[in-house]
Amino acid sequence: MSQRKEKYRQLLEQLECRLSAAGCTLRDIFYGMTLYDWGLELRKARGEVERAFTLLVFGDLLGIPILTPYYTLRLVPYLVPHLEGWRRSMLRERDVCELFDQEIG
Amino acid sequence: MNALVVLLLAAIGIGVGYGVYARSIDRKIIQPDPSKATPARMYMDGVDFIPANRNVLFGYQFKSIAALGPILGPIIALQWGWLPALLWIILGAFFIGWVQDYSSIIVGVREEGQTFGALSYRLISPRARNILLAFIYVYLLMIMGAFGITVGFTLMTNPAVPLGVILVTLAGLLAGQMTYKWKQDIILTTVVTVVVALVGIWVGTLKPVKDFFSALYGLQVVEGKPVSPNLFLQVTRAGFIGSLLVLVFCYLGAVLPIWRWAQPINYVSFWIVLFGVLGGVLGLLIGRPSLGDFPAFQQFTAPAGPLWPMLFVTIACGAISGWHSLVSSSGTARQLEKETDALYVGGGAMFLEMFFAIIAFLAATAGVGFAKYAELKGWTVPAVIFSQGLAIFLNYWGLDAALGQGFGVAYGSVFLTIMALTIMHLVVRFMRVASAEALGDRFPILRNVHVGTIIALLFTIFLIWFAPFLRIWGIFGAANQLMASLALLLITLWLMSKAKNYQWTFWPFAFMFVTTVGALLWQAYDSFFVKLPAQKTWDGMVAFITMGVLALILVVLAVILVVDGVRSIFRYRAELAKARR
Repeated sequence: MSQRKEKYRQLLEQLECRLSAAGCTLRDIFYGMTLYDWGLELRKARGEVERAFTLLVFGDLLGIPILTPYYTLRLVPYLVPHLEGWRRSMLRERDVCELFDQEIG
Repeated sequence: MNALVVLLLAAIGIGVGYGVYARSIDRKIIQPDPSKATPARMYMDGVDFIPANRNVLFGYQFKSIAALGPILGPIIALQWGWLPALLWIILGAFFIGWVQDYSSIIVGVREEGQTFGALSYRLISPRARNILLAFIYVYLLMIMGAFGITVGFTLMTNPAVPLGVILVTLAGLLAGQMTYKWKQDIILTTVVTVVVALVGIWVGTLKPVKDFFSALYGLQVVEGKPVSPNLFLQVTRAGFIGSLLVLVFCYLGAVLPIWRWAQPINYVSFWIVLFGVLGGVLGLLIGRPSLGDFPAFQQFTAPAGPLWPMLFVTIACGAISGWHSLVSSSGTARQLEKETDALYVGGGAMFLEMFFAIIAFLAATAGVGFAKYAELKGWTVPAVIFSQGLAIFLNYWGLDAALGQGFGVAYGSVFLTIMALTIMHLVVRFMRVASAEALGDRFPILRNVHVGTIIALLFTIFLIWFAPFLRIWGIFGAANQLMASLALLLITLWLMSKAKNYQWTFWPFAFMFVTTVGALLWQAYDSFFVKLPAQKTWDGMVAFITMGVLALILVVLAVILVVDGVRSIFRYRAELAKARR
């Protein structure tokens, strides 16, 4: 009897586990359909401003000296973690196809 | 045949296609490695390259690929009968659709997130990239014409629709205001704005509102049908006002900041579309209607042309759409966390889109039925057919017939209008950027936002007022399928360069290429030698000459592309043979 109870308990636990996993999957898919896109657009907008700002401060890394090194030095601690990604992003070859990240039709 | 049998057939197609065919290609040929660093992880910059959870990415991919194409295409294609349309949707997605979407992601991932423009330059020829851009431009132009006619001349001319569209738009603007200016919680924002939008659609169906728009459109009942007076060419007063509303919406969408207009309106309209689709599917399951007397096969030569090749460009999205390759390689491939997620995201979303197309197919066949489809000439007004089918499905819920029908049709019409408009203002943005990029150096005025937008809108209004819907849809489908051919050719070349089996992409490429060029040649022939001599007015002549010339331009570009492609195939085969020796 107790073995059977244990078996049922395990089955219930498994079911609960699966239902919660299915719930998480649905929640993620739903997020992907609704707000993810919105966040992506915002990230792109923020990225453009940040890229322009870093260019002003660290332009000399790309061969474009704009601001005096004094300000650059003061901002170094804040911007160093992003410098690698920024350089890659600035030097990456761009293509008009990048505009098309959703179906038109 | 019962609608549930159709759903079952689609489910079997998905089960075998995704579970057996796609999995075996993925496992045996592509052999994704979960430990390999993807561009999202290698080049993570928090903007373009950023790893995302596979389920989130699946939702994003589906939302990005499913627009109006899978709704309108299958309904237009019913002019040949339901069987050819159903077979092409299921078999197209099974053998070609997922292949293209999935392998576009894989190529993007393995080639460091490069776009198809850059890849076609490298793998085929420098001019292949320009040809791709030309396909894209024609595609964008045709989409403006097809959707402009659908919204301006059919959906908006229903007096129960315009106020609903305006109020849903205002609800979208409110969503932007609440989020960015008033810093409100997203759940509160969603509840408030979606309720405002739903109430807005309902208010639009009230008698005083309908009477107001009927008077504005000058509608008079002639032989039991409301008719609006003709103003010029073939444009009625209702169509003129409808098309002007389209232009105003697109203008604002193209010049205002994306957070102010496009983004929040897209967000609110997503909920309207979701409720509509869920309501329709539930109604379908409750009502279990049959396809009734809708003929399985009607005729080989229908108003849109012969079954082969025209059916295969009429239904693009839902079976195979070239645009997906751009979305998959430029957007999704840069966000894939693991290579092993590609099949689930790319293939899975494509099969779900196929299911979406089947729902639209059923709205026309099992919902509206053959008599009404033939009476309304459903192939010319697919949006009207869909909204009526959706209303019938909503009625299976047991709603009062008058309420269900009146509100349901208005709901379906607003849902399609908003879907079309949110795409159209994006297209105008793209066209503006494209013209500034291409001609901005020579004509600096084109760099001005307003000038670029107005030029794109002038092209649009020309197509809306002059061009016939079916011909525009045919050329739009052909430009789209030429992009699919180019994508499949690129993927084939990429597989050859990696010494992998390429038969599973080469034959779909060959089929799509031959079929699409056939469709374009037929359209050019029909425009110049059948329709043009029959025209008695100058506007009809201008329309068919324009359409015929566009078809011929696409044929020439496609031939150049295939010449370069075949050269590349021989080059890679020679290299492969050399390596084996």
